[in-house]
Amino acid sequence: MTTGSTSGTWGSARRLLGFDLTGSAREGANLGRLLVLPAIAFTAVLIIYPLIVGINTSLHENVPTINAPADFVGLENYTNALKQPSVGSSAVQTVWYVLLALAIEIPAGLAIAALLHRNFRGRGLVMAVLILPWALPSVVSGVLWRRVFDPDSGLLNSALVQLGVIGEPHVWLADKGWATLFIVCVHVWGMLPLVALVFIAGMQAIPDDVYAASAVDGATPWKQFRHITLPLLLPSLVVALVVGTVNAINIFDEIYVLNGTALNTRSILMEVYNQTFIAGQFAQGLALAILVGLVTGALAIGYAMLLRRRTV
Amino acid sequence: MRPTPAANLVRVAGVTLLILWSLGPIVMGVMTSMSTQPETQQVPARWIPEDPTLDNYRALLGGEKISSDDAAADSSQYGRAIVNTALATVVTTAIVLAISVCAGYGFSRTEFKGSKQLLWIVLATMVIPIFTIVVALYKLMAELQLINTFAGLVLVYASSTAPLAIWLFYNYVRDLPPDPEEAALIDGCTRFGAFRRVVLPQMRSGIAALTAIVMLFVWGQFLIPLLLTSTEETKPVTVIITEFIGKYTTNYPLLTAAGILAVIPPAIIALVLNRHIRGMLSAGG
Repeated sequence: MTTGSTSGTWGSARRLLGFDLTGSAREGANLGRLLVLPAIAFTAVLIIYPLIVGINTSLHENVPTINAPADFVGLENYTNALKQPSVGSSAVQTVWYVLLALAIEIPAGLAIAALLHRNFRGRGLVMAVLILPWALPSVVSGVLWRRVFDPDSGLLNSALVQLGVIGEPHVWLADKGWATLFIVCVHVWGMLPLVALVFIAGMQAIPDDVYAASAVDGATPWKQFRHITLPLLLPSLVVALVVGTVNAINIFDEIYVLNGTALNTRSILMEVYNQTFIAGQFAQGLALAILVGLVTGALAIGYAMLLRRRTV
Repeated sequence: MRPTPAANLVRVAGVTLLILWSLGPIVMGVMTSMSTQPETQQVPARWIPEDPTLDNYRALLGGEKISSDDAAADSSQYGRAIVNTALATVVTTAIVLAISVCAGYGFSRTEFKGSKQLLWIVLATMVIPIFTIVVALYKLMAELQLINTFAGLVLVYASSTAPLAIWLFYNYVRDLPPDPEEAALIDGCTRFGAFRRVVLPQMRSGIAALTAIVMLFVWGQFLIPLLLTSTEETKPVTVIITEFIGKYTTNYPLLTAAGILAVIPPAIIALVLNRHIRGMLSAGG
Protein backbone atom coordinates (compact mmCIF):
# COMPACT_ATOMS: atom_id res chain seq x y z
CA MET A 1 0.00 0.00 0.00
CA THR A 2 0.91 3.63 -0.18
CA THR A 3 4.11 4.67 1.49
CA GLY A 4 6.03 7.82 0.89
CA SER A 5 7.58 10.95 2.29
CA THR A 6 6.14 12.27 5.52
CA SER A 7 7.98 15.57 5.46
CA GLY A 8 5.54 18.02 4.04
CA THR A 9 3.37 20.96 4.88
CA TRP A 10 3.75 21.26 8.60
CA GLY A 11 2.93 24.91 7.95
CA SER A 12 -0.70 24.75 8.91
CA ALA A 13 -0.06 22.98 12.18
CA ARG A 14 2.85 25.30 13.00
CA ARG A 15 0.59 28.29 12.58
CA LEU A 16 -1.75 26.77 15.10
CA LEU A 17 1.03 26.12 17.58
CA GLY A 18 3.06 29.24 16.91
CA PHE A 19 1.28 31.64 19.21
CA ASP A 20 0.04 30.90 22.65
CA LEU A 21 -3.74 31.11 22.90
CA THR A 22 -4.65 31.10 26.60
CA GLY A 23 -2.02 28.48 27.29
CA SER A 24 -3.20 26.28 24.43
CA ALA A 25 0.30 25.08 23.52
CA ARG A 26 0.73 23.26 26.83
CA GLU A 27 -2.86 22.15 26.82
CA GLY A 28 -2.32 20.91 23.26
CA ALA A 29 0.76 18.97 24.31
CA ASN A 30 -1.22 17.22 27.02
CA LEU A 31 -4.06 16.43 24.66
CA GLY A 32 -1.52 15.22 22.10
CA ARG A 33 0.11 12.81 24.56
CA LEU A 34 -3.29 11.46 25.48
CA LEU A 35 -4.36 11.02 21.86
CA VAL A 36 -1.23 9.25 20.62
CA LEU A 37 -0.94 7.02 23.69
CA PRO A 38 -3.19 4.22 22.35
CA ALA A 39 -1.25 4.14 19.08
CA ILE A 40 2.09 3.97 20.89
CA ALA A 41 0.94 1.26 23.28
CA PHE A 42 -0.52 -0.70 20.40
CA THR A 43 2.62 -0.41 18.28
CA ALA A 44 4.82 -1.42 21.20
CA VAL A 45 2.78 -4.48 22.18
CA LEU A 46 1.64 -5.79 18.82
CA ILE A 47 4.46 -4.79 16.47
CA ILE A 48 7.72 -3.96 18.23
CA TYR A 49 7.52 -6.63 20.92
CA PRO A 50 6.68 -9.44 18.43
CA LEU A 51 9.45 -8.15 16.18
CA ILE A 52 11.96 -8.50 19.03
CA VAL A 53 10.61 -11.95 19.91
CA GLY A 54 10.85 -12.89 16.25
CA ILE A 55 14.45 -11.74 15.87
CA ASN A 56 15.36 -13.52 19.10
CA THR A 57 13.70 -16.75 17.97
CA SER A 58 15.48 -16.60 14.63
CA LEU A 59 18.81 -16.58 16.48
CA HIS A 60 18.00 -19.73 18.44
CA GLU A 61 17.93 -23.38 17.52
CA ASN A 62 14.64 -24.68 16.08
CA VAL A 63 12.65 -26.57 18.71
CA PRO A 64 9.73 -28.91 18.07
CA THR A 65 7.43 -27.32 20.67
CA ILE A 66 7.09 -23.60 20.86
CA ASN A 67 7.84 -23.17 24.59
CA ALA A 68 10.80 -25.54 24.80
CA PRO A 69 14.17 -23.97 25.69
CA ALA A 70 16.45 -23.46 22.70
CA ASP A 71 20.19 -22.93 22.30
CA PHE A 72 21.57 -19.73 20.86
CA VAL A 73 22.89 -20.51 17.38
CA GLY A 74 23.69 -17.06 16.01
CA LEU A 75 23.03 -16.69 12.31
CA GLU A 76 22.87 -20.42 11.64
CA ASN A 77 19.17 -20.31 10.76
CA TYR A 78 19.89 -17.56 8.28
CA THR A 79 22.67 -19.45 6.52
CA ASN A 80 20.63 -22.68 6.59
CA ALA A 81 17.64 -20.91 5.10
CA LEU A 82 19.74 -19.45 2.31
CA LYS A 83 21.25 -22.86 1.54
CA GLN A 84 17.86 -24.34 0.58
CA PRO A 85 17.63 -24.64 -3.22
CA SER A 86 13.92 -23.76 -3.05
CA VAL A 87 14.81 -20.44 -1.38
CA GLY A 88 17.03 -19.50 -4.29
CA SER A 89 14.47 -20.44 -6.92
CA SER A 90 11.60 -18.70 -5.13
CA ALA A 91 13.71 -15.57 -4.63
CA VAL A 92 14.49 -15.46 -8.35
CA GLN A 93 10.82 -16.10 -9.11
CA THR A 94 9.84 -13.18 -6.83
CA VAL A 95 12.30 -10.89 -8.61
CA TRP A 96 10.50 -11.81 -11.84
CA TYR A 97 7.13 -11.02 -10.26
CA VAL A 98 8.40 -7.60 -9.14
CA LEU A 99 10.02 -6.72 -12.47
CA LEU A 100 7.09 -7.87 -14.60
CA ALA A 101 4.51 -6.23 -12.33
CA LEU A 102 6.38 -2.90 -12.42
CA ALA A 103 6.94 -3.17 -16.18
CA ILE A 104 3.17 -3.32 -16.65
CA GLU A 105 1.95 -1.18 -13.75
CA ILE A 106 4.10 1.91 -14.35
CA PRO A 107 3.40 2.48 -18.10
CA ALA A 108 -0.23 1.35 -17.83
CA GLY A 109 -0.74 3.47 -14.71
CA LEU A 110 0.70 6.49 -16.52
CA ALA A 111 -1.53 5.84 -19.53
CA ILE A 112 -4.65 5.55 -17.36
CA ALA A 113 -3.71 8.74 -15.51
CA ALA A 114 -3.15 10.60 -18.78
CA LEU A 115 -6.60 9.40 -19.84
CA LEU A 116 -8.45 10.29 -16.64
CA HIS A 117 -6.72 13.18 -14.89
CA ARG A 118 -8.77 15.88 -16.62
CA ASN A 119 -12.49 16.18 -16.12
CA PHE A 120 -14.92 14.88 -18.74
CA ARG A 121 -18.53 13.76 -18.76
CA GLY A 122 -18.96 10.45 -16.95
CA ARG A 123 -15.51 10.63 -15.33
CA GLY A 124 -16.90 9.97 -11.84
CA LEU A 125 -18.42 6.70 -13.01
CA VAL A 126 -15.23 5.60 -14.81
CA MET A 127 -13.19 6.35 -11.67
CA ALA A 128 -15.59 4.26 -9.57
CA VAL A 129 -15.21 1.34 -11.98
CA LEU A 130 -11.43 1.84 -12.04
CA ILE A 131 -10.94 1.25 -8.30
CA LEU A 132 -13.24 -1.77 -8.16
CA PRO A 133 -10.58 -4.47 -8.85
CA TRP A 134 -8.38 -2.99 -6.10
CA ALA A 135 -11.24 -3.19 -3.60
CA LEU A 136 -11.83 -6.91 -4.12
CA PRO A 137 -10.06 -9.56 -2.03
CA SER A 138 -7.07 -10.84 -4.02
CA VAL A 139 -8.23 -14.41 -3.36
CA VAL A 140 -11.37 -13.59 -5.31
CA SER A 141 -9.33 -12.00 -8.12
CA GLY A 142 -7.58 -15.34 -8.40
CA VAL A 143 -10.91 -17.19 -8.37
CA LEU A 144 -12.37 -14.93 -11.08
CA TRP A 145 -9.40 -15.48 -13.36
CA ARG A 146 -8.87 -19.15 -12.59
CA ARG A 147 -11.35 -20.53 -15.08
CA VAL A 148 -9.70 -18.53 -17.86
CA PHE A 149 -6.51 -20.56 -17.51
CA ASP A 150 -8.05 -23.96 -16.71
CA PRO A 151 -6.44 -26.54 -19.05
CA ASP A 152 -9.56 -28.64 -19.72
CA SER A 153 -12.44 -26.23 -20.03
CA GLY A 154 -10.56 -22.94 -19.78
CA LEU A 155 -11.76 -19.93 -21.68
CA LEU A 156 -8.29 -19.07 -22.97
CA ASN A 157 -7.67 -22.54 -24.39
CA SER A 158 -11.10 -22.64 -26.01
CA ALA A 159 -10.69 -19.26 -27.63
CA LEU A 160 -7.20 -20.06 -28.92
CA VAL A 161 -8.19 -23.50 -30.24
CA GLN A 162 -11.24 -22.06 -31.99
CA LEU A 163 -9.15 -19.31 -33.54
CA GLY A 164 -6.65 -21.93 -34.65
CA VAL A 165 -3.75 -20.33 -32.78
CA ILE A 166 -2.98 -23.56 -30.92
CA GLY A 167 -3.83 -27.09 -32.06
CA GLU A 168 -4.74 -28.59 -28.71
CA PRO A 169 -5.41 -27.33 -25.16
CA HIS A 170 -2.31 -26.14 -23.32
CA VAL A 171 -1.67 -26.63 -19.59
CA TRP A 172 -0.77 -22.97 -19.03
CA LEU A 173 -0.03 -23.04 -15.32
CA ALA A 174 2.37 -25.98 -15.63
CA ASP A 175 4.50 -23.91 -17.99
CA LYS A 176 6.70 -21.71 -15.82
CA GLY A 177 6.92 -18.78 -18.21
CA TRP A 178 3.20 -18.59 -18.99
CA ALA A 179 2.22 -19.26 -15.39
CA THR A 180 4.43 -16.39 -14.19
CA LEU A 181 2.95 -14.05 -16.76
CA PHE A 182 -0.65 -14.98 -15.90
CA ILE A 183 -0.10 -14.67 -12.17
CA VAL A 184 1.41 -11.22 -12.73
CA CYS A 185 -1.61 -10.38 -14.89
CA VAL A 186 -4.00 -11.25 -12.05
CA HIS A 187 -1.83 -9.36 -9.54
CA VAL A 188 -1.69 -6.29 -11.78
CA TRP A 189 -5.46 -6.41 -12.21
CA GLY A 190 -5.79 -5.72 -8.49
CA MET A 191 -2.86 -3.28 -8.11
CA LEU A 192 -3.16 -1.11 -11.23
CA PRO A 193 -6.00 1.02 -9.82
CA LEU A 194 -3.82 2.13 -6.90
CA VAL A 195 -0.83 2.94 -9.11
CA ALA A 196 -3.10 4.86 -11.51
CA LEU A 197 -4.59 6.83 -8.58
CA VAL A 198 -1.10 7.86 -7.45
CA PHE A 199 -0.29 9.16 -10.95
CA ILE A 200 -3.68 10.88 -11.33
CA ALA A 201 -3.09 12.78 -8.09
CA GLY A 202 0.40 13.70 -9.27
CA MET A 203 -0.84 14.99 -12.63
CA GLN A 204 -3.63 16.98 -11.02
CA ALA A 205 -1.07 18.73 -8.83
CA ILE A 206 0.67 20.17 -11.92
CA PRO A 207 -0.84 23.64 -12.55
CA ASP A 208 -2.61 24.13 -15.89
CA ASP A 209 -0.67 27.37 -16.59
CA VAL A 210 2.50 25.37 -17.20
CA TYR A 211 0.80 23.53 -20.05
CA ALA A 212 -0.85 26.69 -21.37
CA ALA A 213 2.48 28.56 -21.42
CA SER A 214 4.28 25.73 -23.20
CA ALA A 215 1.45 25.43 -25.72
CA VAL A 216 1.93 29.11 -26.54
CA ASP A 217 5.59 28.28 -27.13
CA GLY A 218 4.49 25.61 -29.59
CA ALA A 219 5.06 22.44 -27.56
CA THR A 220 3.27 19.33 -28.90
CA PRO A 221 1.27 17.15 -26.46
CA TRP A 222 4.04 14.52 -26.56
CA LYS A 223 6.73 17.11 -25.83
CA GLN A 224 4.58 18.46 -22.98
CA PHE A 225 4.26 14.95 -21.55
CA ARG A 226 7.97 14.26 -21.95
CA HIS A 227 9.36 17.57 -20.65
CA ILE A 228 6.70 18.81 -18.21
CA THR A 229 4.54 15.95 -16.95
CA LEU A 230 7.22 13.28 -16.48
CA PRO A 231 9.79 15.38 -14.55
CA LEU A 232 7.13 16.93 -12.30
CA LEU A 233 5.69 13.47 -11.74
CA LEU A 234 8.90 12.12 -10.18
CA PRO A 235 7.59 12.09 -6.58
CA SER A 236 4.49 10.16 -7.72
CA LEU A 237 6.72 7.80 -9.67
CA VAL A 238 8.68 6.99 -6.51
CA VAL A 239 5.47 6.36 -4.54
CA ALA A 240 4.20 4.13 -7.37
CA LEU A 241 7.48 2.22 -7.44
CA VAL A 242 7.39 1.66 -3.67
CA VAL A 243 3.74 0.57 -3.76
CA GLY A 244 4.30 -1.71 -6.75
CA THR A 245 7.50 -3.25 -5.41
CA VAL A 246 6.32 -3.89 -1.85
CA ASN A 247 3.07 -5.44 -3.04
CA ALA A 248 4.78 -7.64 -5.62
CA ILE A 249 7.35 -8.87 -3.07
CA ASN A 250 4.45 -9.82 -0.80
CA ILE A 251 2.57 -11.67 -3.55
CA PHE A 252 0.91 -14.80 -2.14
CA ASP A 253 -2.89 -15.03 -2.46
CA GLU A 254 -3.12 -14.99 -6.26
CA ILE A 255 -0.48 -17.71 -6.63
CA TYR A 256 -2.08 -19.84 -3.90
CA VAL A 257 -5.44 -19.76 -5.67
CA LEU A 258 -4.15 -20.22 -9.22
CA ASN A 259 -1.36 -22.74 -8.73
CA GLY A 260 -1.13 -23.69 -5.04
CA THR A 261 2.38 -23.81 -3.61
CA ALA A 262 3.81 -25.50 -6.73
CA LEU A 263 7.55 -24.97 -6.96
CA ASN A 264 7.51 -23.53 -10.48
CA THR A 265 5.60 -20.42 -9.41
CA ARG A 266 6.46 -20.28 -5.70
CA SER A 267 7.15 -16.78 -4.35
CA ILE A 268 9.50 -16.03 -1.47
CA LEU A 269 6.65 -15.55 1.00
CA MET A 270 5.27 -18.95 -0.03
CA GLU A 271 8.67 -20.38 0.72
CA VAL A 272 8.56 -18.73 4.17
CA TYR A 273 5.08 -20.20 4.63
CA ASN A 274 6.27 -23.65 3.58
CA GLN A 275 9.37 -23.66 5.76
CA THR A 276 7.58 -22.30 8.81
CA PHE A 277 4.23 -24.01 8.79
CA ILE A 278 4.49 -26.99 6.47
CA ALA A 279 8.06 -28.12 7.23
CA GLY A 280 7.82 -26.92 10.85
CA GLN A 281 11.18 -25.10 10.68
CA PHE A 282 9.91 -22.20 12.73
CA ALA A 283 13.19 -20.46 13.53
CA GLN A 284 14.47 -20.87 10.00
CA GLY A 285 11.23 -19.57 8.51
CA LEU A 286 11.46 -16.53 10.76
CA ALA A 287 15.04 -15.91 9.69
CA LEU A 288 13.94 -15.97 6.07
CA ALA A 289 10.98 -13.66 6.81
CA ILE A 290 13.35 -11.19 8.48
CA LEU A 291 15.69 -11.29 5.47
CA VAL A 292 12.75 -10.55 3.17
CA GLY A 293 11.84 -7.66 5.48
CA LEU A 294 15.37 -6.24 5.34
CA VAL A 295 15.43 -6.39 1.54
CA THR A 296 12.01 -4.73 1.33
CA GLY A 297 13.06 -1.98 3.73
CA ALA A 298 16.32 -1.39 1.86
CA LEU A 299 14.43 -1.08 -1.43
CA ALA A 300 11.94 1.40 0.05
CA ILE A 301 14.79 3.51 1.46
CA GLY A 302 16.64 3.25 -1.86
CA TYR A 303 13.65 4.63 -3.77
CA ALA A 304 13.24 7.43 -1.23
CA MET A 305 16.91 8.42 -1.61
CA LEU A 306 16.53 8.41 -5.37
CA LEU A 307 13.82 11.02 -4.94
CA ARG A 308 15.84 13.12 -2.51
CA ARG A 309 18.89 13.22 -4.77
CA ARG A 310 16.84 14.34 -7.75
CA THR A 311 14.92 17.08 -5.99
CA VAL A 312 17.54 18.67 -3.72
CA MET B 1 -8.30 23.90 -24.42
CA ARG B 2 -10.92 22.05 -26.44
CA PRO B 3 -9.89 18.45 -27.24
CA THR B 4 -9.51 17.61 -30.91
CA PRO B 5 -11.75 14.89 -32.45
CA ALA B 6 -8.72 12.58 -32.60
CA ALA B 7 -8.01 13.10 -28.90
CA ASN B 8 -11.66 12.41 -28.16
CA LEU B 9 -11.52 9.16 -30.10
CA VAL B 10 -8.42 8.06 -28.17
CA ARG B 11 -10.19 8.86 -24.91
CA VAL B 12 -13.33 6.92 -25.82
CA ALA B 13 -11.28 3.91 -26.95
CA GLY B 14 -9.09 4.06 -23.83
CA VAL B 15 -12.01 4.35 -21.44
CA THR B 16 -13.83 1.47 -23.14
CA LEU B 17 -10.74 -0.70 -22.87
CA LEU B 18 -10.30 0.23 -19.20
CA ILE B 19 -13.91 -0.64 -18.38
CA LEU B 20 -13.66 -3.99 -20.21
CA TRP B 21 -10.43 -4.83 -18.33
CA SER B 22 -11.88 -3.82 -14.95
CA LEU B 23 -15.32 -5.38 -15.27
CA GLY B 24 -14.59 -8.27 -17.66
CA PRO B 25 -13.43 -10.80 -15.06
CA ILE B 26 -16.32 -9.88 -12.77
CA VAL B 27 -18.90 -10.31 -15.54
CA MET B 28 -17.31 -13.62 -16.57
CA GLY B 29 -17.45 -14.71 -12.93
CA VAL B 30 -21.16 -13.89 -12.71
CA MET B 31 -21.75 -15.91 -15.92
CA THR B 32 -19.83 -18.90 -14.59
CA SER B 33 -21.60 -18.73 -11.23
CA MET B 34 -24.98 -19.06 -12.97
CA SER B 35 -23.91 -22.02 -15.12
CA THR B 36 -24.25 -25.69 -14.26
CA GLN B 37 -21.14 -27.74 -13.64
CA PRO B 38 -21.50 -29.85 -16.83
CA GLU B 39 -21.78 -26.60 -18.77
CA THR B 40 -18.43 -25.37 -17.46
CA GLN B 41 -16.79 -28.68 -18.43
CA GLN B 42 -17.81 -28.43 -22.07
CA VAL B 43 -15.12 -28.23 -24.70
CA PRO B 44 -15.01 -25.70 -26.28
CA ALA B 45 -15.86 -23.71 -23.19
CA ARG B 46 -19.27 -22.13 -22.82
CA TRP B 47 -19.06 -18.55 -21.60
CA ILE B 48 -22.73 -17.78 -21.24
CA PRO B 49 -25.07 -20.21 -19.42
CA GLU B 50 -27.87 -21.59 -21.55
CA ASP B 51 -30.36 -21.51 -18.70
CA PRO B 52 -29.02 -19.24 -15.91
CA THR B 53 -29.49 -20.73 -12.46
CA LEU B 54 -29.14 -19.35 -8.94
CA ASP B 55 -28.77 -22.83 -7.42
CA ASN B 56 -25.19 -22.24 -6.29
CA TYR B 57 -26.10 -19.03 -4.51
CA ARG B 58 -29.03 -20.79 -2.89
CA ALA B 59 -26.77 -23.61 -1.71
CA LEU B 60 -24.14 -21.22 -0.34
CA LEU B 61 -26.61 -19.10 1.59
CA GLY B 62 -29.11 -21.84 2.47
CA GLY B 63 -26.65 -24.26 4.03
CA GLU B 64 -27.08 -26.99 1.39
CA LYS B 65 -24.09 -29.27 0.78
CA ILE B 66 -22.57 -28.97 -2.70
CA SER B 67 -18.95 -29.54 -3.55
CA SER B 68 -16.62 -31.66 -5.61
CA ASP B 69 -15.53 -34.85 -3.85
CA ASP B 70 -11.88 -33.91 -3.58
CA ALA B 71 -12.46 -30.42 -2.12
CA ALA B 72 -11.86 -29.71 1.56
CA ALA B 73 -14.97 -27.62 2.12
CA ASP B 74 -18.56 -27.62 0.92
CA SER B 75 -21.20 -24.94 0.46
CA SER B 76 -22.85 -25.48 3.86
CA GLN B 77 -19.81 -23.91 5.57
CA TYR B 78 -20.10 -20.68 3.63
CA GLY B 79 -22.73 -18.82 5.66
CA ARG B 80 -20.73 -19.14 8.86
CA ALA B 81 -17.56 -17.98 7.07
CA ILE B 82 -19.28 -14.81 5.81
CA VAL B 83 -20.47 -14.06 9.34
CA ASN B 84 -16.92 -14.63 10.66
CA THR B 85 -15.47 -12.25 8.08
CA ALA B 86 -18.11 -9.59 8.72
CA LEU B 87 -17.64 -9.72 12.50
CA ALA B 88 -13.85 -9.58 12.33
CA THR B 89 -14.04 -6.72 9.82
CA VAL B 90 -16.38 -4.60 11.94
CA VAL B 91 -14.52 -5.11 15.21
CA THR B 92 -11.05 -4.60 13.70
CA THR B 93 -12.20 -1.47 11.89
CA ALA B 94 -13.62 0.00 15.08
CA ILE B 95 -10.33 -0.56 16.94
CA VAL B 96 -8.06 0.68 14.13
CA LEU B 97 -10.26 3.70 13.49
CA ALA B 98 -10.26 4.81 17.14
CA ILE B 99 -6.49 4.46 17.37
CA SER B 100 -5.59 6.09 14.07
CA VAL B 101 -8.03 9.02 14.17
CA CYS B 102 -6.71 10.04 17.59
CA ALA B 103 -3.07 9.47 16.64
CA GLY B 104 -3.43 11.11 13.21
CA TYR B 105 -4.82 14.26 14.81
CA GLY B 106 -2.43 14.14 17.77
CA PHE B 107 0.68 13.81 15.61
CA SER B 108 -0.23 16.50 13.10
CA ARG B 109 -1.88 19.16 15.30
CA THR B 110 -0.09 18.93 18.62
CA GLU B 111 3.54 18.95 19.58
CA PHE B 112 5.21 17.61 22.71
CA LYS B 113 8.63 16.40 23.68
CA GLY B 114 9.52 13.39 21.54
CA SER B 115 6.36 13.56 19.42
CA LYS B 116 8.27 13.61 16.13
CA GLN B 117 10.45 10.65 17.13
CA LEU B 118 7.38 8.69 18.20
CA LEU B 119 5.71 9.45 14.87
CA TRP B 120 8.76 8.17 13.02
CA ILE B 121 8.83 4.97 15.05
CA VAL B 122 5.16 4.31 14.33
CA LEU B 123 5.60 5.05 10.63
CA ALA B 124 8.80 3.02 10.33
CA THR B 125 6.86 -0.09 11.36
CA MET B 126 5.11 0.18 7.99
CA VAL B 127 8.30 -1.00 6.30
CA ILE B 128 8.29 -4.24 8.31
CA PRO B 129 6.52 -6.76 6.09
CA ILE B 130 3.37 -8.10 7.68
CA PHE B 131 4.69 -11.62 7.43
CA THR B 132 7.68 -11.01 9.72
CA ILE B 133 5.31 -9.81 12.42
CA VAL B 134 2.71 -12.48 11.74
CA VAL B 135 5.13 -15.38 12.09
CA ALA B 136 6.38 -13.91 15.37
CA LEU B 137 2.85 -13.18 16.51
CA TYR B 138 1.89 -16.77 15.74
CA LYS B 139 4.39 -17.88 18.37
CA LEU B 140 3.01 -15.42 20.93
CA MET B 141 -0.57 -16.36 20.05
CA ALA B 142 0.27 -20.01 20.54
CA GLU B 143 1.71 -19.25 23.97
CA LEU B 144 -1.37 -17.26 24.95
CA GLN B 145 -3.62 -19.91 23.36
CA LEU B 146 -5.13 -17.35 21.02
CA ILE B 147 -4.83 -19.46 17.86
CA ASN B 148 -8.29 -20.19 16.50
CA THR B 149 -9.88 -17.44 18.55
CA PHE B 150 -11.72 -14.42 17.32
CA ALA B 151 -9.76 -12.12 19.66
CA GLY B 152 -6.41 -13.37 18.38
CA LEU B 153 -7.41 -12.90 14.77
CA VAL B 154 -8.70 -9.37 15.37
CA LEU B 155 -5.51 -8.35 17.21
CA VAL B 156 -3.29 -9.54 14.36
CA TYR B 157 -5.52 -7.86 11.76
CA ALA B 158 -5.34 -4.63 13.74
CA SER B 159 -1.58 -4.86 14.08
CA SER B 160 -1.17 -5.30 10.34
CA THR B 161 -3.46 -2.39 9.37
CA ALA B 162 -2.89 0.21 12.11
CA PRO B 163 0.44 1.72 10.92
CA LEU B 164 -0.93 2.36 7.43
CA ALA B 165 -4.17 3.77 8.85
CA ILE B 166 -2.25 6.10 11.19
CA TRP B 167 -0.10 7.31 8.31
CA LEU B 168 -3.08 7.91 6.00
CA PHE B 169 -4.95 9.83 8.67
CA TYR B 170 -1.90 11.81 9.74
CA ASN B 171 -1.51 12.97 6.11
CA TYR B 172 -5.19 13.75 5.90
CA VAL B 173 -5.27 15.95 9.01
CA ARG B 174 -2.05 17.70 7.94
CA ASP B 175 -3.80 18.89 4.77
CA LEU B 176 -7.01 19.89 6.57
CA PRO B 177 -7.58 23.68 6.94
CA PRO B 178 -6.74 24.69 10.53
CA ASP B 179 -8.94 27.81 10.56
CA PRO B 180 -12.08 26.34 12.20
CA GLU B 181 -10.00 25.02 15.08
CA GLU B 182 -8.18 28.33 15.48
CA ALA B 183 -11.48 30.20 15.48
CA ALA B 184 -12.83 27.87 18.15
CA LEU B 185 -9.73 28.40 20.30
CA ILE B 186 -9.97 32.18 19.95
CA ASP B 187 -13.60 31.91 21.00
CA GLY B 188 -12.41 30.33 24.23
CA CYS B 189 -12.82 26.61 23.51
CA THR B 190 -10.37 24.26 25.25
CA ARG B 191 -8.15 22.16 22.96
CA PHE B 192 -10.19 19.09 23.75
CA GLY B 193 -13.46 20.97 23.28
CA ALA B 194 -12.28 22.23 19.88
CA PHE B 195 -11.18 18.72 18.90
CA ARG B 196 -14.50 17.20 19.88
CA ARG B 197 -16.89 19.89 18.67
CA VAL B 198 -15.09 21.42 15.69
CA VAL B 199 -12.36 19.16 14.33
CA LEU B 200 -14.13 15.78 14.61
CA PRO B 201 -17.10 16.99 12.51
CA GLN B 202 -14.63 18.60 10.09
CA MET B 203 -12.90 15.21 9.63
CA ARG B 204 -16.10 13.43 8.59
CA SER B 205 -14.98 12.72 5.02
CA GLY B 206 -11.59 11.44 6.18
CA ILE B 207 -13.15 9.18 8.78
CA ALA B 208 -15.52 7.78 6.15
CA ALA B 209 -12.61 7.15 3.80
CA LEU B 210 -10.48 5.51 6.47
CA THR B 211 -13.39 3.31 7.58
CA ALA B 212 -13.84 2.14 4.00
CA ILE B 213 -10.13 1.49 3.40
CA VAL B 214 -9.63 -0.45 6.63
CA MET B 215 -12.79 -2.49 5.99
CA LEU B 216 -11.63 -3.38 2.46
CA PHE B 217 -8.23 -4.43 3.79
CA VAL B 218 -9.56 -6.62 6.57
CA TRP B 219 -12.30 -8.17 4.45
CA GLY B 220 -9.75 -9.43 1.94
CA GLN B 221 -7.17 -10.81 4.43
CA PHE B 222 -6.07 -14.31 3.52
CA LEU B 223 -2.57 -15.21 4.69
CA ILE B 224 -3.15 -14.23 8.35
CA PRO B 225 -6.31 -16.33 8.79
CA LEU B 226 -4.73 -19.14 6.77
CA LEU B 227 -2.14 -19.36 9.57
CA LEU B 228 -4.29 -18.48 12.57
CA THR B 229 -7.59 -20.25 11.94
CA SER B 230 -8.40 -23.87 11.30
CA THR B 231 -11.90 -24.24 12.75
CA GLU B 232 -15.24 -23.54 11.17
CA GLU B 233 -15.99 -21.11 14.01
CA THR B 234 -13.16 -18.77 13.00
CA LYS B 235 -12.31 -19.34 9.32
CA PRO B 236 -13.16 -16.32 7.17
CA VAL B 237 -14.72 -16.46 3.74
CA THR B 238 -11.41 -16.02 1.87
CA VAL B 239 -10.02 -19.22 3.41
CA ILE B 240 -13.23 -21.22 2.82
CA ILE B 241 -13.29 -20.14 -0.84
CA THR B 242 -9.85 -21.62 -1.48
CA GLU B 243 -11.05 -24.88 0.07
CA PHE B 244 -13.69 -25.17 -2.66
CA ILE B 245 -10.84 -25.79 -5.10
CA GLY B 246 -10.50 -29.54 -5.47
CA LYS B 247 -7.28 -31.46 -5.88
CA TYR B 248 -8.20 -32.62 -9.36
CA THR B 249 -11.59 -31.19 -10.18
CA THR B 250 -13.02 -27.82 -9.34
CA ASN B 251 -16.70 -26.96 -9.23
CA TYR B 252 -16.31 -23.64 -11.01
CA PRO B 253 -19.92 -22.48 -10.73
CA LEU B 254 -19.84 -23.00 -6.96
CA LEU B 255 -16.36 -21.49 -6.60
CA THR B 256 -17.19 -18.36 -8.57
CA ALA B 257 -20.59 -17.95 -6.89
CA ALA B 258 -18.73 -18.00 -3.57
CA GLY B 259 -16.32 -15.41 -4.95
CA ILE B 260 -19.06 -13.15 -6.29
CA LEU B 261 -20.96 -13.24 -2.98
CA ALA B 262 -17.79 -12.34 -1.10
CA VAL B 263 -17.25 -9.42 -3.46
CA ILE B 264 -20.63 -7.76 -2.92
CA PRO B 265 -19.88 -5.99 0.41
CA PRO B 266 -16.46 -4.60 -0.64
CA ALA B 267 -17.86 -3.60 -4.05
CA ILE B 268 -20.68 -1.65 -2.36
CA ILE B 269 -18.21 0.06 -0.01
CA ALA B 270 -15.90 0.94 -2.91
CA LEU B 271 -18.69 2.29 -5.10
CA VAL B 272 -20.56 4.27 -2.43
CA LEU B 273 -17.48 5.80 -0.79
CA ASN B 274 -15.24 5.88 -3.86
CA ARG B 275 -14.84 9.67 -3.89
CA HIS B 276 -13.66 9.68 -0.25
CA ILE B 277 -11.41 6.64 -0.75
CA ARG B 278 -9.75 8.22 -3.79
CA GLY B 279 -9.22 11.46 -1.93
CA MET B 280 -7.44 9.73 0.93
CA LEU B 281 -5.35 7.30 -1.14
CA SER B 282 -4.03 10.01 -3.42
CA ALA B 283 -3.32 12.55 -0.67
CA GLY B 284 -0.25 10.68 0.55
CA GLY B 285 2.02 11.38 -2.39
